[in-house]
Amino acid sequence: MKDIFTDLYNKVLGFFRQSEDKQEASAKEVACNRLKFVLMQDRTNLTPELMDRMRRELIELLSRYVEMDKEALELGFEQEGNQMALMLSIPVLRARDEAEIEATLAEEDAKKVEVEDQGEEASDKSDETLSEEESTNEDSEVNDEDENLQNEQEENIEISEEEVTEEPKTSKKKKKVSN
Amino acid sequence: MTLTCEKEQKQDIKKGDIMSGRVIVITSGKGGVGKTTTNANIGTALAKTGKKVVMIDTDLGLRNLDLLLGLENRIVYTIVDVVEERCKLKQALVKDKKNPNLCLLAAAQTRDKTAVTEEQLKDICEELKKDFDFILVDCPAGIEQGFQNAVAGASEAIVVTTPEMSAVRDADRIIGLLEAREEIKSYRLLLNRVRPNMIKSNDMMSVDDVVEILSAQLIGIIPEDTGIITSTNKGEPIVNDEKSLAGQAYRNVAKRIIGEDVPFLNLEEETGVVAKVKKFFAGLIGKEK
Repeated sequence: MKDIFTDLYNKVLGFFRQSEDKQEASAKEVACNRLKFVLMQDRTNLTPELMDRMRRELIELLSRYVEMDKEALELGFEQEGNQMALMLSIPVLRARDEAEIEATLAEEDAKKVEVEDQGEEASDKSDETLSEEESTNEDSEVNDEDENLQNEQEENIEISEEEVTEEPKTSKKKKKVSN
Repeated sequence: MTLTCEKEQKQDIKKGDIMSGRVIVITSGKGGVGKTTTNANIGTALAKTGKKVVMIDTDLGLRNLDLLLGLENRIVYTIVDVVEERCKLKQALVKDKKNPNLCLLAAAQTRDKTAVTEEQLKDICEELKKDFDFILVDCPAGIEQGFQNAVAGASEAIVVTTPEMSAVRDADRIIGLLEAREEIKSYRLLLNRVRPNMIKSNDMMSVDDVVEILSAQLIGIIPEDTGIITSTNKGEPIVNDEKSLAGQAYRNVAKRIIGEDVPFLNLEEETGVVAKVKKFFAGLIGKEK
């Protein structure tokens, strides 16, 4: 008899414990987290102009490594769990081969050397305006993103080469922006 | 410049009387969170304390404040008639049935938000400041021209929100817009339709959650109360019901506006809510008497 009761007791206890586990993310917590995220997004003062600029600069950078559908490139913020993620979706038309990439890089290096003074001044200026205008959250991340992008892009190139891309392919990349 | 001088003089004259000619806009961004109900109840509660109060309904085309006060049959002239000079400002003020200290300047039902400009509303508020202690401006939902107009003449704001995501988000937006306006010297948050039971079961954001997320100063916590619906149906603000919890909460808000230090109802920590809250109020009322 006792065994039956202890068994029953444990089962009931287990049931409640289970339901407690399930309730870990209560409606209230979910609401709070979602709200905090959405307000962060709302309060972000990245104007459409700045987003456009970021978009153009990313295109410029990525174009060195892949040929892509510039019109279809999508850039925006999305929620990643409790974090805000910058989502970049790029339809890749064709991956450049190594020689090609190195050639363009070398070409750009050469250009840089040629217009060193002017170029440096210009890039300094653009860096300054960017960090001034962008909210603190974003501007420190921009450099990291570029690196991530390069890495991820390289991976993508390998795949593309194997598959011989004829149709536009969409690759999705996520970069986490810490809260 | 002359205006500011006048203001200063006026403040000097009425020194010691904190609540002279204060223009408070009641706004929310989102519709349906209880702006008009808040307006009617705070206005009535303030008038009950002996203050002279006028309420301006700026929701042109969608007026409702008259209904909540039960004054819909008494309106002859509206704010648009005042602006278009078909009548004098004083002629357009409708006196409350019960309280002669309380007046309503109704919105026009047949016109849209462009019928009154920011400047015109400012002028009306300036004019009313001379005769009233409080001018409560009922703002339409949204952040468009109607909102801009309503805010134009005000120097204080009450942001009404509920513990729901969409309402809190819109309140955040409104707070951003209010902060950008120099003429708004202060704003405070009124959390409406709070359900203690849902907060207790972690199904609803708590008062603290909302306050933390919006990082705004609180002026009132109003519990969800079915009495609000019946009071609207009767055209009588719930503050007139001495037994109502929501009515008590609104009366507390009015006291805080005047400058009294009234503790907030701590609805969340009560167990057996109804009983404890009743006890709490019994104690409060006892103290006051």
